[in-house]
Amino acid sequence: MSDSKKPLIEIKDLVKRFGNFTALNGVSLDVYPGEVHALLGDNGAGKSTLIKVLAGVHPATSGSIIIDGKEGKFSTPRQATDAGIGTVYQDLALNALTSVTRNFFLGREIKKGPGAFGLMQMKEMNRITIEEMAKIGINISNPEQPVGTMSGGQRQTLAIARAIYFGAKILILDEPTSALGQKQQMEVLKTIKDVQKLGHIAIILITHNEIHARLIADRYTFLSLGEVIGSGLAEELGGDDIKRLMAGGAEIGDLRDELGA
Amino acid sequence: MNSSNPTVQRKESDRQGQKKWYSSFTSRPEIGPFGVMLLLFLLLGYFSIPEGEFSINPFAGEGFNALGIRNNFRVIAQLGIVALGAGMLIIAGEFDLSVGSMIGFAGGCMAMILKWGFAVVIPYISFDGGFHFEGLKLFEITDVSPLMALLITLCFTLSFGWFQGWLIVKSGIASFIVTLGGLFFLRGITEVSYRAFNRAPDQTAGSTTVTELPDIKNIIIVPGHGEMERDAAKLLPNDQLLEILSKVPANTVAKLTEQLTYINEKVANNKTALAAKKMIETLEKSLAGAKKSGNDSMVDILTKKIEAGVEVPPVAAKAVTDIDIAKAYIDTIFTARPVANFFGGDIMEPVFDWLYFSVDWNVNMYGNMFAKGMYSCLMIWLLLALVCYFVLSRTQAGNWIYSTGGNLSAAQANGVPTNKVKISLFMFTAFCATMFAACQVFEVNTADTAKGNLKELEAIAAAVIGGVVLTGGFGTILGIILGTIIFGIAKEAFFYIPGIDGSFYRVFLGAVLVTAALTNENIRKRIIGSL
Ligand SMILES: Nc1ncnc2c1ncn2[C@@H]1O[C@H](COP(=O)(O)OP(=O)(O)OP(=O)(O)O)[C@@H](O)[C@H]1O
Ligand SMILES: [Mg+2]
Repeated sequence: MSDSKKPLIEIKDLVKRFGNFTALNGVSLDVYPGEVHALLGDNGAGKSTLIKVLAGVHPATSGSIIIDGKEGKFSTPRQATDAGIGTVYQDLALNALTSVTRNFFLGREIKKGPGAFGLMQMKEMNRITIEEMAKIGINISNPEQPVGTMSGGQRQTLAIARAIYFGAKILILDEPTSALGQKQQMEVLKTIKDVQKLGHIAIILITHNEIHARLIADRYTFLSLGEVIGSGLAEELGGDDIKRLMAGGAEIGDLRDELGA
Repeated sequence: MNSSNPTVQRKESDRQGQKKWYSSFTSRPEIGPFGVMLLLFLLLGYFSIPEGEFSINPFAGEGFNALGIRNNFRVIAQLGIVALGAGMLIIAGEFDLSVGSMIGFAGGCMAMILKWGFAVVIPYISFDGGFHFEGLKLFEITDVSPLMALLITLCFTLSFGWFQGWLIVKSGIASFIVTLGGLFFLRGITEVSYRAFNRAPDQTAGSTTVTELPDIKNIIIVPGHGEMERDAAKLLPNDQLLEILSKVPANTVAKLTEQLTYINEKVANNKTALAAKKMIETLEKSLAGAKKSGNDSMVDILTKKIEAGVEVPPVAAKAVTDIDIAKAYIDTIFTARPVANFFGGDIMEPVFDWLYFSVDWNVNMYGNMFAKGMYSCLMIWLLLALVCYFVLSRTQAGNWIYSTGGNLSAAQANGVPTNKVKISLFMFTAFCATMFAACQVFEVNTADTAKGNLKELEAIAAAVIGGVVLTGGFGTILGIILGTIIFGIAKEAFFYIPGIDGSFYRVFLGAVLVTAALTNENIRKRIIGSL
């Protein structure tokens, strides 16, 4: 991948504290369009916190987020989406009790009429939902079915399709494959690959699965205890580096010895 | 390999089974409440038919005569108004225990303003002639119209609803506690205000009611007399009544005369029939006595007499006088206080007239009209229900309400203003309580501090029976309506069942409530995939 490209999003010295607890301590990273940027690290490293700050769920304590050269300050999720950040959360932010369509358009319903009391255009919304899901490889038979009745992979696709449809330039995926079966994992990876091929979308992928990361990531950043402990291009990093950094810098070899003993 | 038909690629949509024509009905979550409602209607219809009479027509009994329908639907509609607010709020994941006290507060507020006017007073401490409080009156409205009283009351109740909602979303304290506080606070404020405003000059504590309000909804403009109450107008001296009648158009007079003639004849016929019935009863009593004493010849005579049927002289119909026509005309004058009439008056009078004059059904045992219409609160309930239905199932706001209760963090992550949603719904429950109070105050022209007691729990129960899940995100307006009807009709239905204590309706409701809650939870779990 060429370094001559301009990053779509630059994160500089981001600090996030929850009271006395420092969840992120000066994190910096750049993400380029058409690239999958793998964000790796142990449990509690701060990955989810980082993307929640990017998505406007938590305000940053200090530091800056620059999107397309413009400084972004998000105090609501709406502002982040408007700036082009589409987030697919670990919990997917879906309401299992309502229909696929109602979830696809949640918060951005197509409506006619005054304010929040405008009538939703259900037919049009159903049509778009089916189309957009089909575009990234899932055919749903009934857009009125409750999301609770969908499979994990289908839910993941719904969340990704939703983010892309609403103009995400930066797609953030928090452990998209963690709860899925083998076949569905591969489907989701293929979906991500498809999105990457579109070329104009920058993807931040959080995963604990080294194999998945190696299959699709172009660039890596490793977090541990709220700090960046390593980063680099896919071709620069060896398999052992990745394993070691993913575990927060501990020597896997040592660990292997310990377990063996 | 034994794969079947390998040339056809199986698609996701192949896995969807064919729907039966009735499945869209039977798979609706409201099917359970609907069944219970039907059962109660049948019980009420069947058991309210008087002993000794047989009919398979459920409308033959007292439960569903015109007056029964009028009264039952008042109970249902009043509960329904608050159940809509409570249900919507529960769907959004919160609930409001202050509804009942809010009804008492709103009713008291409205009645006091109607009786004594409205003023804004700033209290201050004065040391002139000893330490005491003085008030600085900023402005005062002495004669408050019904609309104005309602609007001022809404200012208070909506602000209180807003405050409760704001406190809950900002502090994160459970709505149970905050609105329980509201329950005590509002009931207390209401009692204190009643006593303070009713206080006699000798400073003894006043009563906790407001009475002697005029019958506002029945204030009419009588030609030549100006505004007055309908009942007072009918008591005017005869010469004045005749003068009023002299200005009424001839065709109206003709129509009123016709109606009064019809009524008088009907009353006369019913009197004749009643007299005949009484005579037969007397004869039968004598017959029983004769049989007992073994007077065979007497038994013979009496049996023959009864078989032959009795002839009573027909009661002559009362003649229609001009005074009667004048009074009937006064009854037809439209109210001069449409707002009060909107809340406290009657609706569907033409239908009930038609049922009396043309269908010959809306008739009581004396031959008069049974019910003059339905209570207006029925219309208010149905209007509110229609609006709620559209908002909840068709609008963006509805999707926000469902997602706020269904998955709060998901809703927030998608930019749904969940705090606004919740606060608005707390204001809506306050609005519903105010509507309930307005219906009561303008109907009976009194208010007292006990009004609305326990209504908050009844409203929650009605919503749960109708399929709303207390943890939020699940329920429909149709369900809430059915739950309300079940709750409202159960008492009546059990009252008529012979040989059992009427209070069994509470036992029944308790069981239905818990069964409903279990069923709802099962349906919810099935949908979110954990069953
Ligand atoms: N709202 C919060 N308030 C206080 N502490 C928080 C909050 N959110 C996260 N934390 C803390 O911040 C740290 C980082 O959490 P985070 O969820 O970002 O980890 P993660 O890297 O996503 O882990 P995992 O791989 O398990 O998902 C954790 O110690 C967590 O307890
Ligand atoms: Mg995480």
